[in-house]
Parts: sequence; C-alpha cells; structure tokens
Amino acid sequence: MKTLIPATLLLLLGLAAAPRPAEARIKLATQPQRERVEIQLDNGRYTLVEEERIVPLLASTTQRGNNRIDFSWANTRIDKSSIQFRPLAIREDGTFRPIREVDGQREVAVINVASPPNENALVWEVYAKEACALKVRVSYLISNLGRTFAYRALANKDETHLLLKKYIQLRNYSGEDFGEAGIWAGFGPKFEKTVGQQVDIKMLLERFKRVPIRKTFTFDWFAHGPLNPDKPHASRVLMHYELTNDGKHGLGKFPMQPGKVRIFIQDGRGGEAFLGEDWARFTPLDDKMRLYLGEARDVICTRIVQDNKRHRITGNLFNQEIWLRYEIENFKDDAVTLDIVEQLNALASKYGARAPGDVEWSLGKDTTEGLKITTERGGALPILHVEAPARPKDPDAKVEKVVVTLHVALKNLWK
Amino acid sequence: MPRTLILLALIPLLAGTALAENVDLVTLPNREGVQLTIYNSEDITFVKEKRYVTVKRGANKLQFSWANTLIDPSSVEFRPLEHADEVDIADTVFPGQKPQFLIWNIDSAFEGQLLVEVSYFTSGLTWQMDYVGVTNPEEEQMDFRGHVRVFNNSGEEYEDAQIRLIVGNINLVEKIAQLARRKGIPMPKPGSPMMQRLQRDASKAAFDLAAAREGAARATGAKAIVKEGISEYFMFTVEGTETIKNGWSKRMQAIKSETAKFEIVYRMRAHQYGPRPVRFFIWRNDKEHELGESPMPDGKIRIFRENGKDGLSYLGEQTVRYVPVKAPIEVNVGTDDLVVYETRRDKTERFNFTFHMGRVVGWDTRTAWIDTIRNYRSKPIRFELRRRWPGHIEYESEVTTTSFDYRTIEAVFTVGPRDTFLYPATVLQHEGKNARQNRIELK
Repeated sequence: MKTLIPATLLLLLGLAAAPRPAEARIKLATQPQRERVEIQLDNGRYTLVEEERIVPLLASTTQRGNNRIDFSWANTRIDKSSIQFRPLAIREDGTFRPIREVDGQREVAVINVASPPNENALVWEVYAKEACALKVRVSYLISNLGRTFAYRALANKDETHLLLKKYIQLRNYSGEDFGEAGIWAGFGPKFEKTVGQQVDIKMLLERFKRVPIRKTFTFDWFAHGPLNPDKPHASRVLMHYELTNDGKHGLGKFPMQPGKVRIFIQDGRGGEAFLGEDWARFTPLDDKMRLYLGEARDVICTRIVQDNKRHRITGNLFNQEIWLRYEIENFKDDAVTLDIVEQLNALASKYGARAPGDVEWSLGKDTTEGLKITTERGGALPILHVEAPARPKDPDAKVEKVVVTLHVALKNLWK
Repeated sequence: MPRTLILLALIPLLAGTALAENVDLVTLPNREGVQLTIYNSEDITFVKEKRYVTVKRGANKLQFSWANTLIDPSSVEFRPLEHADEVDIADTVFPGQKPQFLIWNIDSAFEGQLLVEVSYFTSGLTWQMDYVGVTNPEEEQMDFRGHVRVFNNSGEEYEDAQIRLIVGNINLVEKIAQLARRKGIPMPKPGSPMMQRLQRDASKAAFDLAAAREGAARATGAKAIVKEGISEYFMFTVEGTETIKNGWSKRMQAIKSETAKFEIVYRMRAHQYGPRPVRFFIWRNDKEHELGESPMPDGKIRIFRENGKDGLSYLGEQTVRYVPVKAPIEVNVGTDDLVVYETRRDKTERFNFTFHMGRVVGWDTRTAWIDTIRNYRSKPIRFELRRRWPGHIEYESEVTTTSFDYRTIEAVFTVGPRDTFLYPATVLQHEGKNARQNRIELK
C-alpha cells in the first residue's frame, strides 16, 4: 500500500546555505502545524489551497546565515510553479502585528527560493532581523481536489413554483488530509469542514424557496423525427421548465453553475414523485435556465407536408413554396401553448437546396391568420406558438384538433 | 451469495472519532414505512422510507449504508418530517474508504425521537402493462381489461409491498445502475450474470423494505388501483400492499370495460402496413366506452373473439402505445382473408414528348387504374385507402378523393356485404424533363 506523505513545511535548522543540486539532503527540522487552511473553489478548473503556519525564525547572522524553510509533498499533485510563500505577520505579546521596516529594511524578507532536484520540494531562504514567530501563508494549486454542483428542485403540484436547493460537493482525492479547512465556492456561504483524504462532502449552498417557473411544450420535427410506426407524422412533444436567474424570479444571487438538476413534484398527498433530471448549463445573472424533464404524451402534434410547388427562376435557381399543416390534440386537463419549431434550413435541404448559410424565406398568404410566430432562436428557425384548449370536461365531448397552416416560400435555392 | 444490506444507524458522537473507522458502534432504528415508486420508461425506482431516530441537542451523526445494492449514492436524501425548523443537515460525508456508506452530520436544536424520511434511487425493479380484449361473436363490443404486472426476480417471496407505478417518459441523464458503479466500487458490467444477480438483490432489497413496513394494511380481494395525474405523468397507486411470490410476477387488474363498443376499419396503406389491407378495432379511452379514468400505458394487447361455441378464437396482438384520456384506441389485428384488395392498370397512354439531341428526355404518361375491394364478410365494411404517388402527378377519380399530403391521396368508402367496390382513377404522371414538381394535383 502506498504511504501518503502530506505536504509539510519544515524549518531546517543549523544549515547555513542551500545544498548543491546533487547533494543528499539531511534535515533536522521543526515542523510547524497548520494554523488555518482555506480551500478556494471559485475557479472551476483549478483549486487553490492556502495554508497558514507559524514558523519560528532565528535571527540571521553571518555565521548562521538565513533561515531555510522547506516545503515538500509526496503522493499529491501540487503544481510546483504555482506555490506562493508570503510572510504575513510577526507574533508580539501574544498577538500578530504587521511586518515593519527597520532602518530601511524589512524585519523579515524572502531572499530566494530553491528547488532541490528529484524532489517535490521548495526551499525558501528567509532573512530575519530578530528571532521571531512568523505567520506565513503558503498557497498552491492542487489536482484531484475539486467540486461539483447539484440541484434538487421540488415543484408544487400546479407547477408554478420550485423549491430549489443548490448543493456543492467537495471531492478530495488529492492524497492530502487538510483537517479543519475553510471552503469557499466563490459565492454563497463559506463552510468550515473537516476535509480528510478520499472524502466527498455534500453541502447545501443555497435554498431558493419560491422560484417561479414557466412550463413549456416544444415540438421539433427535424430534431426528433417520427414518434413511432403507428404515428409516422407525429413527433415527440418535450416538456421543459424555464427559470430566470434574477431577483424578480426568486434567484439572481449568483450565476448558476453547471450541474445535475433532479426535479421532484409534490404528489398532493404529502409525498413527492420524481419528474426527471437534466444537466443545467451555466446560467449567468438575468439569463434563463431551461431544464428538459421528459415527454408530454398527452399533447399530440402531427406535421404534414400538405403541398409544395417549385417555381423555376432561371437555370437551376428556383423558389420553393411549402404548405405545412400541424394538427394538435391536447388530452390534458389544462390548456397548453405548444411551441412548434420549424427548421427551415433542414426543410430546404429536403428539397435538395444547396444554398449556403440560412435559407431566405417569407411567409405565404395561406398561413393561418393570427398565428403567433417568433424567431428568437434564429431567423431560419421560426417558432409557432399555438394555443390548444384543455380537453373538454363533458365526458361525451371529444377532443378537438387545433389545425394551423404554415405557408412558407423558400427563396433563391439551387441544386 | 452476496446479501443486500441497507442500514440506517445513529452513531454515538465521540470526541475525536474519525469518520472512516472500521469499527462502528451504532443503533439501528426500525422502519416505520416504505414506499416504492417504480418507473416503466427507465430502470429507476424511487424508494422512500420513514424511520424514527433519537437525536440530542447539538451535533449528531447518522450513518446510512447500502452494501451490495444498486443505489445511486448521489440520490440519497435525508429529510426530517418533524421539527424540520429545528433540525439542520450540516453536510453529507461520503468516506472514500467505505464506498457504499455515508454519514449525515446533523445539528439539532431538538432532543428526542424524530420521524425522518430517507429517499434514494435504486435499480432493478420493473413493471409493465398488458391488455386482453374478448369480443362478442358479432365483433361489435368487447370485454376489455388492462393489467399491471410488477416483476420480482429475486428468487424469494415477499409480502406486503407498497407500490406506486409511474406512467410516462422521464428524462434521465445518467443511468442509475451506472451511478451505483461509481467511486471505484467493483461492480460488474451491465447485462453480465453478476449484474443481473445484483439487480435481483436490489429488487429483493426494495421489496424487503416494503415488506418490513409495519402496520401495512392488508387488503382482501381484488385491489383497487388509484389513478392520478402528476405533471405530464400518471401515477397508479396499488391499494394496500401486495405479496409477490418467489420468481413470479404479480399481475393486478387496473383497467376494466365490460361492454366497450368498437368500430372495425380496414386500412390499405402499402407504405405503412404492407401490400394487404389490415383490420383495425377502434374505440376510445373515454367514458362512453367505460374507460377514460386514466391514460393507457404502453403494453401488449391480445384480442380474442367468442366463437359462439363456448370457446375463444385468437384474432391477433399488438403493442399499444400510450393512449391519453379521450384519445382513440387503435388495435391492428392484422390482415383479413375475407377482405381482398387488388389494383391493376387498365389503360396506358404516353404523349407530350420532349426531345434533346434527338432523344426522348421527357414525356407524360396517363394511366387508368382500377382498385378492386372485395368484401366476403356478411357485414358492410368501412375501407380507408391511402396511396402514395411519387413525382409530378395529376390525379382524377370519380370517387370522392382528398389529398392527405403532397404525395398521398386518401379515399374512404363503404363496401357492402359480399360485395365488390371498384375505385377507378386516372393518373397523369409527368416524367423525365417534364417532371417539374414533386406533388399530386387533384383534378
């Protein structure tokens, strides 16, 4: 079994000068304990560890030379080039005071840093005017110590609000036992935890009690294709929750980091049921987070290419008119707005068009009057917003189809 | 044989106790209730168990371990059901040396017995729906039943399992069985005998939990299935508790309609169902058909007919896909030898030739087609014809015909008993250079 040697800071005694590279190093040392450890997780790629220790220094003299402070580690992946050493304060009468300048020279100063060969170690040469207890801070980047974020959301039965809990999970597989350490993600509360080796610690970072959500239903033929062989013209209707990361919508304290979101719903009997999960993408302040939960199988949408006409312009250049008919049946108890995404670039390529970039298009006169169409995802990605009423309460009444037509003219195509 | 072990234990808090010690002194609180919510679209079961634990004021440690199971560690949640505002979970610690193990550090302002809920996802339990329809000899109405079947392959017998079943397609970004394999736990590969055994063990563990529920009501006779909608899904809750015997699957009736009237339709769609017309039984999942309480989950349906001689005839089977409330139920019972469809060309003309360099590069073809439908049954039948015509087509028929889409015509008619119906059509096809469109134009 591998023996883990923690990162150590040693004060080497009685050695006047740094060893030459090829020399064996014989150390007689005092080992100052960590006084404070901070694990900074605000950078998503690198974890910064800052530790403070009290180092007893001897007064530098011509005979003894300067103090040498040795920092070494094994079985951990510390980025050697990232290690910073900073003298912070001197203990005086039981408290620490800042380092002063005396006669134009600082009481304590780092003279140089040496790197012994074939060792994970650094040796700082430190000048001290007088013997003192010096508080120093050693900072370094370390691998295999990181964090992940996860969310647990509980929707109310009507799906209007979420109770959103954001967790941070610290994973320490760095090989280092940090003991009591401060943990900070760059936002939210700072935690004080015992961070041992090979441990995961899951902590509640924030609880957002009432986050308004918008439930959306989306149909995208080119993204999902036919629903099944029995319904070759229907496709999947996807359900999403949309959250806005701002104060008005119960969030807005900090950007939302990427992480897995598991969504539950109150079942109306004091319990919960699992609705689905999705990866949340990074969501800056004021931006929207969209979470895919699953399929809405009570909303059926079929898309039929009702007709098409080609109008030759000259040579192989042509315009293509297309009539698309959408039939929406809502078997739910509630009315829904279905967002139908029509990928016009993909539609143009179905007709063999090779025009580069987005297709040029215009709306035809046969498009259903009053049909709400937006292009927030791109000019060639019109989204039709179709209201479908709830299924009738009357047990004998049937669900009526909502039928809309999108008539488009794709222009200046060639094969 | 590896044994499944799920333990919730209170660890006496001793100063200086290391998290990862191998010797634990624990107290094991009894379970007060367990609920299994099984999903059919994914291999996932949501387990919730309630227990009483005794906490003291200040810091408490609660240990939860799940040896030899397929529990997703990231899903394990702890929730106080009482004194929630006085009990705070400081953190959850997963010691690396004990992979299937965690400790909740709990700060409590309350001292005494506390009802808590532990929930998690596990893998290895499944359920399915199946349907049986028996028509009367005249094929006008049917006795239709749907059954829920919960599978227990654990090899042992379980009693008093409390079960909820979710109908719907949820989104999972990672499989639960894979999550259970994380953290260096030596888990077998998916589908391997070892994994199957683990799944059986997980199934057994979950049913064990449910069986351990104290005071569970034992319903007698047929169990009711309570149905309710949750978001886009539907939840079937099995009344009381269930006993599922060793190696058996338990089948419970969930849907029943004794006299559902249905319609028979013949559909000829060569591009969808093949070269022969197929027979559909069509009715609705609504009150009129003694249904409509809930959607019908995906499942296999088998159709029989009372043969009038105190026996049944097997008509066919099909996998029914999810049917919402009030939506039509369409069951394809296959081809019928007593209904015959034939199509033939009657007359062909070619004209309007286009030449290039003295060679024919474009022409029009006018073809007279006659489709014949012969009904050898003693009842009239409704016949739906859809036929695809690729290319640039001008189409004409004396029978009412509509365009279903840009390349498919549709005609619906009735064929009398022991009668023949002729469906004539004239198809003008522009070919070669004469083809300037890809659509049917109805004349």
